[in-house]
Amino acid sequence: MDWKRTRESADAWHMTDDLHVEHGKGDPFAAAIRATRMSMIITDPRQADNPIVFANDAFLRLTGYQRQEVLGRNCRFLQGPKTDKAAVEKLRKAVDGVVDTSIDILNYRKDGSTFWNALYISPVSNDRGELLFFFASQLDVSDRKRSERRITADKERFEKAVQERTQELEAALEARTTLLHEVDHRVKNNLQMIASLILMQRRTIKDEAARQSLTTTLERIEALSTMHRRLYQSKDVGRLDVSDFARDLISDLLTASGRTHINSKLDLEPVSISAEKATPVALIVNELVTNALKHAFSEQPDGTATGNIGIRMSQPDGHLNIEVSDDGVGMAGTVSETSFGMRLIKSLAKQLHAEIGWHDAAPGTKVVISIPNEPQHKENAS
Amino acid sequence: MIEPLKVLIVEDEALLAMELESLVEEAGHSVVGWATSSAEARKAVDTTDADIAFVDIHLTDGPTGVDVARYIGERRKSMVVFMTANPKRIPDHFAGAIGVIAKPYTMNGLLSALRYLQEGVRRPPPKSARPAGFTLSPAFETVWAPTS
Ligand SMILES: Nc1ncnc2c1ncn2[C@@H]1O[C@H](COP(=O)(O)OP(=O)(O)OP(=O)(O)O)[C@@H](O)[C@H]1O
Ligand SMILES: [Mg+2]
Repeated sequence: MDWKRTRESADAWHMTDDLHVEHGKGDPFAAAIRATRMSMIITDPRQADNPIVFANDAFLRLTGYQRQEVLGRNCRFLQGPKTDKAAVEKLRKAVDGVVDTSIDILNYRKDGSTFWNALYISPVSNDRGELLFFFASQLDVSDRKRSERRITADKERFEKAVQERTQELEAALEARTTLLHEVDHRVKNNLQMIASLILMQRRTIKDEAARQSLTTTLERIEALSTMHRRLYQSKDVGRLDVSDFARDLISDLLTASGRTHINSKLDLEPVSISAEKATPVALIVNELVTNALKHAFSEQPDGTATGNIGIRMSQPDGHLNIEVSDDGVGMAGTVSETSFGMRLIKSLAKQLHAEIGWHDAAPGTKVVISIPNEPQHKENAS
Repeated sequence: MIEPLKVLIVEDEALLAMELESLVEEAGHSVVGWATSSAEARKAVDTTDADIAFVDIHLTDGPTGVDVARYIGERRKSMVVFMTANPKRIPDHFAGAIGVIAKPYTMNGLLSALRYLQEGVRRPPPKSARPAGFTLSPAFETVWAPTS
């Protein structure tokens, strides 16, 4: 055994010589290793400090050393101050553990310049599993490292730019929202002023017909007020949920009428509409509900009127459908063309490109409006 | 018959204050003072004896309504209801106020709010339904409108 081992050791040495001198000529593998552009070395772990016992020309070209300067030395002369300690430690572990490893490590040439070395080391053992040498190949990957670093830097720069732009846009949006709120605040204060003016005027009037006419005007202004209050309460000041508006409106009109025997029946899906549509929709719904309250229910001898007013809102594909119904006296198919309320409803419906129809609900009246509305999911729209 | 309320109005718009005063009085309550700035409001608070103060957020000296509410709260003399077109300016804790009547309110909305507040101040918790356009502060929500 001992004998064999010594022989192999000696062979290993000789192989080095042989590679340079004789055997190389006859051995195509040795010739290939000597001549390849891939830098390669062999070290002998059985000698003290695992020295280099073979280095090909590519290794010498890569590192700038002469052959006699590297033979017999441990590879660590390739390391320098900027070499990553953790990488060195990983190498040491692989050598101690007799396993192969590959690692990118910063190495130094003889002239002190650096290069990124994609190092691959593998142990070579004989058939009996005894470690003979380490084979190592080096590949200069400085270019790859440079572009990796450039890509990382580019990415960081890009991310920073995106972040800055996002912040700018968020600030702009915030400023826009504040401004919108400010304008909205004034609109609402002015609506309150208009309502106050009408109320003050009404106090001075004795004539019942004139008072009634101011009351109708006040109702219309207040429908807009209710809608604007809801518009501002929604998260997005450009849109509102008309079903919230309808709830507020009918409870307000019912209590204001003082007719406790008239009930509301609401069947409301949440339907979001844009601010431009809000005003005409608010006015139409107000006209229809006040009409039902004023005209549909005849008074009992005790002065009370009984009945139901229903509002339904739904949104089948791209439409907002509103239905205002009552179970009162009905309109007997006579839809006035000339009265102001009807003209207002029809003009507003035209503005909304809506279809509107009065139906005999026997008992009572059912008015159905279908308004083209944009898709409901905001992510999909705009 | 529940005892009517004595009301202090803190509002910089004369027109709105005037009309509010008429509505409050028509509903059977009385108005004990009207202030247009935070300084006037402080003086009115010290010299009158109101049950409830309707306080706008934006007064002639800026957005000082919340300070006025805090001042009233510290003196423990009356209760506060904000009355503003800009409810988002109100801090989350409402500076101790009962809630907010959002402008523009409707005439009926205001009358309902007065009825609700009269019940709430005289015989809490109020029996009537909370009117549309009236929002309770979180603190009063738990006392006046506990979710059964
Ligand atoms: N739901 C209803 N039930 C019974 N009759 C109705 C109903 N809606 C409308 N009408 C009848 O149609 C007429 C026209 O209504 P319209 O809204 O145009 O006028 P108005 O309500 O009388 O006055 P204003 O112009 O102030 O609205 C009413 O006067 C009433 O006779
Ligand atoms: Mg009408």
